[in-house]
Amino acid sequence: MLTITNLQASVEGKEILKGINLTIGKGEIHAIMGPNGSGKSTLASVLAGREDYEITGGSVDFDGKDLLEMSPEERAREGVFLAFQYPVEIPGVSNTNFLKAAVNEVRKHRGLEPMEPKAFLKMMREKMALVEMDQAMVSRSVNEGFSGGEKKRNEIFQLAMLEPKLSILDETDSGLDIDALKIVSNGVNKLRSKETSTIVITHYQRLLDYIVPDFVHVLYKGRIVKSGGKELALELEAKGYDWVKELALEEVV
Amino acid sequence: MVEFQSKLEQEFSLVERSLNGQAKSPIHAIRKQAMARFAELGFPTIRHEEWKYTNLMPIVKQDYALTLQAASSLTKADIEPFLIPDVEANVLVFVNGSYSAALSTIISDKGVEVMPLAEAFTKKTAVVEKHFAQYAAWQNDAMLALNTAFSLNGAYIEVANSAVIEEPFHLLFVNDSRQQSTFAPARNLIVLGVNAEATIVESAHTLVSGENVGFTNVVSEVVLAENARLQHYKIQNDVTQSHFVGALHAHQEATSILNTVVVTLSGGIVRNNLNAVLAGKAADTHFYGLYLVNGKTLVDNHTLADHAVAHCTSNELYKGIMDDRSTGVFNGKIMVRPDAQKTLAYQSNRNILMSPNATVNTKPQLEIFADDVKCSHGCTSGQLDDEALFYLRARGLDREQARALLLYAFAGEITEKIELEPLRERLESIIAERLHQELV
Ligand SMILES: Nc1ncnc2c1ncn2[C@@H]1O[C@H](COP(=O)(O)OP(=O)(O)OP(=O)(O)O)[C@@H](O)[C@H]1O
Ligand SMILES: [Mg+2]
Repeated sequence: MLTITNLQASVEGKEILKGINLTIGKGEIHAIMGPNGSGKSTLASVLAGREDYEITGGSVDFDGKDLLEMSPEERAREGVFLAFQYPVEIPGVSNTNFLKAAVNEVRKHRGLEPMEPKAFLKMMREKMALVEMDQAMVSRSVNEGFSGGEKKRNEIFQLAMLEPKLSILDETDSGLDIDALKIVSNGVNKLRSKETSTIVITHYQRLLDYIVPDFVHVLYKGRIVKSGGKELALELEAKGYDWVKELALEEVV
Repeated sequence: MVEFQSKLEQEFSLVERSLNGQAKSPIHAIRKQAMARFAELGFPTIRHEEWKYTNLMPIVKQDYALTLQAASSLTKADIEPFLIPDVEANVLVFVNGSYSAALSTIISDKGVEVMPLAEAFTKKTAVVEKHFAQYAAWQNDAMLALNTAFSLNGAYIEVANSAVIEEPFHLLFVNDSRQQSTFAPARNLIVLGVNAEATIVESAHTLVSGENVGFTNVVSEVVLAENARLQHYKIQNDVTQSHFVGALHAHQEATSILNTVVVTLSGGIVRNNLNAVLAGKAADTHFYGLYLVNGKTLVDNHTLADHAVAHCTSNELYKGIMDDRSTGVFNGKIMVRPDAQKTLAYQSNRNILMSPNATVNTKPQLEIFADDVKCSHGCTSGQLDDEALFYLRARGLDREQARALLLYAFAGEITEKIELEPLRERLESIIAERLHQELV
């Protein structure tokens, strides 16, 4: 599904991603962990097409296509979805109108007709139920005045509406209370299939109890310094990052 | 320019002769003084602080006809596009300053007296004399003096105490410059009694051909007695071969509420003055404005919230979306006089510049002579929020759609202040279409 080869990116002349290699197969869940500032969100943003970053090297293949050549909207239409670490508040734009436009763009790209209003509302209701969002929130402006947890839940609601092939969840767990974490994780699990892949960026093992990864990677200073199975997350939880940081140093030396 | 000015002076003597008996009325005495004052002041130049960014000289260099008595050949079909769809409204149509009974429709009869001002001069002399030119201070304002001098017609609306008029009043000013470039002045007097409520829409429309341009000058004086409520909407979506200089001067008694929304979508040079004097305790005034312009349109909004007594509130938000070589001017003054303790006064002007050639000049002016007040003001000019743009694009909207959606939302904060639903919907669809055309 996704093959990242030696990806390098910098912002304002500062190199942040220093050669990422990562292959994600269909139906797989990959967790990316790592200390603050190591480049996790940068990787997510680069995959989603944020233009502030300059790609200085490497390539990304998404289902046989060159992802880095595409505009952010093309990526979204092709099926890449980024659940933002910090979802943006957009006053005056209603969630519903925004989603209708987004859903129809994705459909158009897939050669489908725009959705009938009735069918759209039905789908909204189903997906709302999935993440237990209430109507009042959906009727409001996009994320405006939402609590931290509500914003995260709204991201997963959008994910549910857009049915992407590759979901990138950037710290979706932060800000969610214990119950919400369960609800949102359940939602993500129900939306998964053999045809879709997920990248979960998180600091905490707890999320991975619900969304169980096939692989765990540690990103440190712009490189993946350690990869393993789901037990790696447990090891990190127990031991912290110092030992992987040392590993990284040894490798560089 | 001197030519047009002297032409106006000559025209004034012609008008005087046609007035017959009324030439000796107190109203005409005011007109005469105003004319003399205009002759003294002349058209304002950019050396005048209030006209620094709005140069009238190219406009007034033109030769204009002043055809106050002209019969109009316009038909209902001609003005149909200017009407608000799907609304039962009183429509008063003025063509080149003259009232057209044939094109007008008056449906409200209970609790309101509505007629052309020319008729009110004789039928409602006492009320007119009490209010006319009492709020719109023309002595140091050349354009206002000019309007006062030629205040021969316009709308007269007097809402009785406690009357709530459901049907809006649409005052429609048509400048017919198809034969020749025309200067069309008009003057409205709107008086709301105690507890009265009304909704007024003003719009000006110009018909042109060839090189002709229309110059329209509409001034409204508005009096709100205690606890009266007025919704006042001014819609400007005129051809680019038209210029507009107008004003609204409101006088508000205790606990009255004025809600004004000025929406400018197109035109040549557009200048709006908006002054409200909060003269009674706990009066409340709202100034909202939206200018969404392109080409070479210039929109200049000068506002004054004048807090004369205590416990009043003024709330002001003007927003601009400027493309191409358009120019925006916002000059918002808050005056808090010594007696106006416990004043709440807010003002904000926010602009989005869509093109590097668009400019906006914004100037808040706070003059505060009381100590126990809350006043705030702020202005911003910039581009659309990149974070929001990326967020929308990351969900599949292309850049243009995302921009249109954000701009529509930006404008929506003003259009939502229009309580007259058919008007709001009409404007929203015009705005959506405009944004779509420009961007998508
Ligand atoms: N636009 C930018 N300008 C300057 N520096 C940036 C920019 N974006 C990211 N950085 C820097 O790049 C580094 C990586 O940031 P990034 O947000 O990717 O980290 P992260 O791994 O997601 O951290 P966290 O766990 O705190 O979310 C940080 O040092 C950050 O300050
Ligand atoms: Mg991050």
